[in-house]
Amino acid sequence: MTDEPRLSAQDMIERLSPALSPRTRIRAVTALLAGAAGAVFVGALWWTEPGPLPGRTHLAFALFTAFCLAWAAYGGWLLTRRVPLFATDRVIAAWIGLAASLATTAVLTVVAAQRGTGVGPVLAVGGGFVAVALVLVVRAQARRAALLRRRRELSGAQPGRTS
Amino acid sequence: MTDELLVVRAQLGERAALAELLARWQVPVWTYVRRMLDADRADDVSQEIWLAVVRGLPRLRDPERFAPWLFTIARRSVTDRLRGEYSQAEERSGAADAAVEDPAEAMVDRAALVSVLSDLPVLEREILVLFYLEDLPVEECAYICRIPAGTVKSRLNRARRLLRDHLEEKGYRP
Repeated sequence: MTDEPRLSAQDMIERLSPALSPRTRIRAVTALLAGAAGAVFVGALWWTEPGPLPGRTHLAFALFTAFCLAWAAYGGWLLTRRVPLFATDRVIAAWIGLAASLATTAVLTVVAAQRGTGVGPVLAVGGGFVAVALVLVVRAQARRAALLRRRRELSGAQPGRTS
Repeated sequence: MTDELLVVRAQLGERAALAELLARWQVPVWTYVRRMLDADRADDVSQEIWLAVVRGLPRLRDPERFAPWLFTIARRSVTDRLRGEYSQAEERSGAADAAVEDPAEAMVDRAALVSVLSDLPVLEREILVLFYLEDLPVEECAYICRIPAGTVKSRLNRARRLLRDHLEEKGYRP
């Protein structure tokens, strides 16, 4: 009977490193952002297209939107299920989300204004994205602040220990 | 440094704290898994548990309850492997668990315990490992196994009785 784990703690950390690597996070965030922005962009183009469109163009728009949504869903799945996002990562991710929402809304508004179609719907959709992103920023900041406070309290309880 | 502080630091994203937490708890987790499963599966299952821990850690709401949370995850991985044995054992144990007996904190010799543990049924084996090898209090054992504390005590009693029988069969004198 072997009574020692075959893997040392160091080996275990190394085996876990794919889940902790920044590369997986960046891939997940990129897929989510590019997918969501692409879907909104293509959706807006489709929606604001002046004049009746042939059936094939509708199909192309639908396929492209679905493709973008699939990437966004993959990114979202990676971020929520596969990649652990710790408090600081969440703050960064939320700010990236806010920046991307603002950028997408701005680009879409400019495009809609240039094409002479109404900017109202674009602003409504973009505004929705920005609002959700803002809520995520506030939540992430609050969670991180709470953890930092707890760390200070716990470190304070151990004299001579700084962390 | 307390586990809670390490968990909070790991939740903030400090890799060193995560590594220290793993170094501190790797052997206890492995011990639990090894006593429940054979040696071949113990390392793989341990790795699976740690992956689930790393993925779930950002969502852990009570950092001071890290140990019971950790063993809940470990138990889930082990029960997945022993599904058949667990369902049989739970059917059989229903009536016996109802009676709460005096826990009678009899001392159990660790070496003797380990030597016959693998012969015991899963539910009794699990409770002995958590209580005697992992030194977890009755309330935490109850939380991990999702049973009332009274059931933990009666199960421990039965487990000790079985243990004594097995040890006597093997020629140990209590």
